[in-house]
Amino acid sequence: MPGPGLAGPDAAPYNLHGPVRTPDLLPTVRALGRAAAAVALLPAVLRRSSSGRRADPTRELESVSRVADELARTADVEGVARTLLDELAELFDLGFAALTIVSDDGREATGYLARSGGEDVDWWREMHLDLEREPSGIASVVFEATAMTVYDTASSGVVSRRLAEAVGARSAAFVPLLVEERVTAVISVATLDEPRVFSNDDLAVMQTLASEAAVAFERLRAGVALEEALKRNEEQLAQQAALLRAAHVLSSELDLPVVLQRLADQLAQLLDADAADCYLLDAERGLFRCVAVHGFDRSLLDFEFPLGQGLAGAAVREGRPLIESAYRELPEPVPHPAYDGFTDVITAPMFWSDEVRGVIGVGRREGRRFVERDAEILGAFAGLASLALRNAEMFTQSARQARVQRGFYRIASVLGQSLSRAATLEAIAQAAAEALGGTSAAVLVPSSGRLEAVGTYELPADLAHLLDERAWDSRSPLFRATVEGRIVVSRAIAEDERMLPDLRAASAANGYLSLISVPVDAPRDAGRGLVLIFFAEQRSFDDDDLDLARHLADATRGALERSELFEAERGARALAQQLTRTGRLLTSELDPAAVLDEVVQQAPALVNAEAGAFRLLEGDELVVTAAGGEGAEAVLGSRSPASGWLSGDVLQSGAPVALAQAGDDERLRGLDPMLQAGHSAFLGVPVGGAEGVTLGVLAVYASVPREWREEEIEALLAVAASTSAALSNAELYQRVALERERSVAILANIAEGIVAVDRDGKVVLWNSAAELITGVSASVALGRAPVDVLQRSLESADEAARGERLVPIPRGREEVWLSVTEAVMRDPLGAVAGRIFAFRDISGDRLVEQVKSDFVSTVSHELRTPLTSIYGFAETLLRQDVMFGEEERQTFLRYIASESQRLTSIVDTLLNVARLDTGDLQVHLAETDVRDVVGQVLDTVTAAEANGHRFVVHLPEEPLAATADPEKLRQVCSILVENALRYSPDGGTVTVGAVRRQDTVEVSVADEGIGIPQSDQEQIFRKFYRGSDAELRAGAGGTGLGLFIARGLVTAMGGRIWVSSQEGEGSRFAFELPAAIADSVETER
Amino acid sequence: MSADMDGYTRPVPDRGEVRVLVIDDEAPIRLLCRVNLEAENIDVLEAADGTAGLDLAREEQPDVVLLDVMMPGLDGWRVAEELLEDDRTRGIPIIFLTARAEFRDRARGLDIGGVDYVTKPFNPLELAPLVRELLARIDRGERDELRGEKLAELRTLIESE
Repeated sequence: MPGPGLAGPDAAPYNLHGPVRTPDLLPTVRALGRAAAAVALLPAVLRRSSSGRRADPTRELESVSRVADELARTADVEGVARTLLDELAELFDLGFAALTIVSDDGREATGYLARSGGEDVDWWREMHLDLEREPSGIASVVFEATAMTVYDTASSGVVSRRLAEAVGARSAAFVPLLVEERVTAVISVATLDEPRVFSNDDLAVMQTLASEAAVAFERLRAGVALEEALKRNEEQLAQQAALLRAAHVLSSELDLPVVLQRLADQLAQLLDADAADCYLLDAERGLFRCVAVHGFDRSLLDFEFPLGQGLAGAAVREGRPLIESAYRELPEPVPHPAYDGFTDVITAPMFWSDEVRGVIGVGRREGRRFVERDAEILGAFAGLASLALRNAEMFTQSARQARVQRGFYRIASVLGQSLSRAATLEAIAQAAAEALGGTSAAVLVPSSGRLEAVGTYELPADLAHLLDERAWDSRSPLFRATVEGRIVVSRAIAEDERMLPDLRAASAANGYLSLISVPVDAPRDAGRGLVLIFFAEQRSFDDDDLDLARHLADATRGALERSELFEAERGARALAQQLTRTGRLLTSELDPAAVLDEVVQQAPALVNAEAGAFRLLEGDELVVTAAGGEGAEAVLGSRSPASGWLSGDVLQSGAPVALAQAGDDERLRGLDPMLQAGHSAFLGVPVGGAEGVTLGVLAVYASVPREWREEEIEALLAVAASTSAALSNAELYQRVALERERSVAILANIAEGIVAVDRDGKVVLWNSAAELITGVSASVALGRAPVDVLQRSLESADEAARGERLVPIPRGREEVWLSVTEAVMRDPLGAVAGRIFAFRDISGDRLVEQVKSDFVSTVSHELRTPLTSIYGFAETLLRQDVMFGEEERQTFLRYIASESQRLTSIVDTLLNVARLDTGDLQVHLAETDVRDVVGQVLDTVTAAEANGHRFVVHLPEEPLAATADPEKLRQVCSILVENALRYSPDGGTVTVGAVRRQDTVEVSVADEGIGIPQSDQEQIFRKFYRGSDAELRAGAGGTGLGLFIARGLVTAMGGRIWVSSQEGEGSRFAFELPAAIADSVETER
Repeated sequence: MSADMDGYTRPVPDRGEVRVLVIDDEAPIRLLCRVNLEAENIDVLEAADGTAGLDLAREEQPDVVLLDVMMPGLDGWRVAEELLEDDRTRGIPIIFLTARAEFRDRARGLDIGGVDYVTKPFNPLELAPLVRELLARIDRGERDELRGEKLAELRTLIESE
């Protein structure tokens, strides 16, 4: 008895009839076929999934095949479901996966199994959904019959709130299990922690697994029936096993010829036939073609015979397997010698969707008869074969779809990224080649009226060169088709008259047989480009391919637009950066010629041009004063009329002139040597000078024709602006530098010390005269305040008094008197911006003045003192009112006499000085005993003069003869002794000595007085000089002439005088005179 | 009594004994001063240097100091400054004896606080009247006027040069 409900109406396409038909078996076989079909689909799905973003296609492959395997083997629905859900969860890293069964009427759903964290979710089994009343993802999927995803369940209006919350779902996906286009169950999956996006790839894989599961469930239901049938018919056991085996074998293979070959092999074995064959129908031509044989020579393959002929024709007509036990007597046998000798044959038609697709047959030669059962099995096999056939077709289709889809994804992913133009074009080329299964591809875009190959994928060099070099003009049909927006396909390039010969040759040389050319609209109405894809095999293009190609064109346009935006943005950024760099470079350049040289180097780099030239307006001509890049050498110095084209136009219009192909114009070439040198594209902008005058023209050139983009023109204008600013700067600087050099030269050469300070009072100028006068080098003084380096401020304390001022500054140990004038520089607001000091060293003048003045007052004092006494005592003696005694009168007269003598001696001294000054000093050298002279001098020292001093005298016993003028010698000794007394006001010992040296006699006078500072020891022998603070410390009188006279006298006598002194401890003056020869003679005697 | 009428120098009010301190390093000058002042009944004290002069002035409280400027050791300027700084000697009028020709030296003496100056060489006979006239005007409270006159005189001299 037939099992209830298993043989549904869908058994009809097989249309099997016959007395021994076992109704139960058919659905089973059908189920097996579907399982096989599902399994057969897997690799396609796998390939599709591997194009997705998931990291490990191998793992997916394993996973899916494991599921498939599991599904193929198991008889446990729940086990199948569990495996499926667990695999899904693991594969997609999901926290939750569930299977829900939909009722036959599609109005409600019941939870079947749910898995979460490797555990069953028990409550799911009690879950009921009213699909018509309660909104849910499951309901949506049931009604739409397609998969759907929800990114955020919390905000979605589609999902069931209660279920989402019970599960804790963040993102979810719902996939239907379709059986005969009816949703029998729904797989729900969800993430629990993180939201995630389910890609189309993900859904595709899930869908595949779902189909797998759907088939498996069907098969399970069928499998139960099959087992029952087997139990009922033990005899059929072996055959059933073989059938199953055959099904298994068939299901493991996708390649149609192989599938059919296996079918034939299995068939022959199963039915114990001598041979088996399989023919497919070529519907268009109405012929069967042999595709698989068993037990025949392989030459039978591809043999064809008409649809209605032979047993096959009859079987097709009757729509069922036919047994023929008298094959040789068949009226219209299949006309092939291979069939000679067969006695018993069964032939079964293969149907697909009520259409005959082919026939299979088995035959025996030795008269063993086939029974009706054999025919049934063959019929079953025919069903199996048509399924396998369909599988294989579906596979091919799926594979293509997968490829198309991958192409779409690839293009989409290119579209999705902001890539540079070059990267985008290469990605497009690759996507195009991959999407259409091409070997290589090229993208060509319009540029200045031609097509330029800008992106290639695996394109051989010679083809790339060809595409690059070739003028894609109207001669080329490809170009015309592109312009007209037509897709061009060429199945056989080599024989295609529409292709130009060089392209045909190059294609053939690279083994390319087919190509497709897809027009692409360039962004911004810039014309059309094309995508060219080459195929190594002879390729026919179906609607899918054309669809894909059109899609490719759209995508390419999108990607180009996007990359253009990206490029524009990047270009703008790069331009801005480059401009900044250029501006910085220019503003730091202070030589106008260098500025222009820099500009003609920088400007072309800025706008991707190859050369640049600057033309200066000179009278009514433009002269190239700077040029960079190719042809620059020749163009330098060349002249063109200011009213001419190109640069002249720029000059006249004061606006940029941009030409993509200026080089093509003979007249323009004649005017511009850069164009003559081979450049083509021209972009010129005016360079302004001071007061709105146009200074010249800056132009850049490119050797190939090119359009100048708006931002490039802007950039060049900006460079021109920088240039004119930099030129003004540089010229200004040059002028300033010249001025400055002049000033420096002047300052360096004037005798006055010039010091300038800035507003902070720091030295910024310190000329060489200032160095000389102050003894401070400029390197020390610069950047410091004058008061820090001079110990004295140069600035006037009184703002009002700006006249000449005397400022003493120390220079080493001496004091230098500066006569300083000062000028104050003020900024426009009136604040002090700096000061300039000019000064002379008047120390010399001042010293002379001072010394003279001192001398005058000293001499005056020296003269007036004795005069006072002389005059006073004379007046006194003349008094009438007082009678003086004789003794008093004597005293008065004595004073008059001694003071008169004193006056004489002072006058003598002055005369001596005068003689020394004029060189008139007369010395009368004679052998003189130094002891005598020293003695006389000491005798004249009065008690009063020696007040508080002790004299120590060292003189030899024997005469000490020197060659000297005795009077002059006495004067010298006298001066030294007087000085010793005068400069030791606190008393102490005065040591006077004379001693014989080698050839000289040395006389010395030492005191314990105030001493002489080291700095003064050289000066004291100078005229009028007195110890700088001698007056202060000693109040000492004196003319300041003593040591000057002493040195003059000693020198005149052929000797020398010196001093050694320690400040505060005393001085020792000594002089030496030549020893008298007589003395030596005397000694000898 | 009317001195104006007989043409004689007007007799100064009798101050009793007038004493003058002479500070000068030159012995002949000191003698010159002494002889001529004593001849007109003015007592004279002598010091040969600044230090001795200061001591003497403090001890003896002379009525007038004749002070030489150029002296070894403590010079006349310093002596004058110390006399004027000391409460005991501040009131004593100082007449500088100077051999310095420059006006600035004379002015300096007045600046320091001297009331008059005598330039060497001088007529010793004029010393006594000078001292008496000075004292008389100071007694009349004309000390400052005196200095003012001397400064004005000096200024005229400087300007005329």
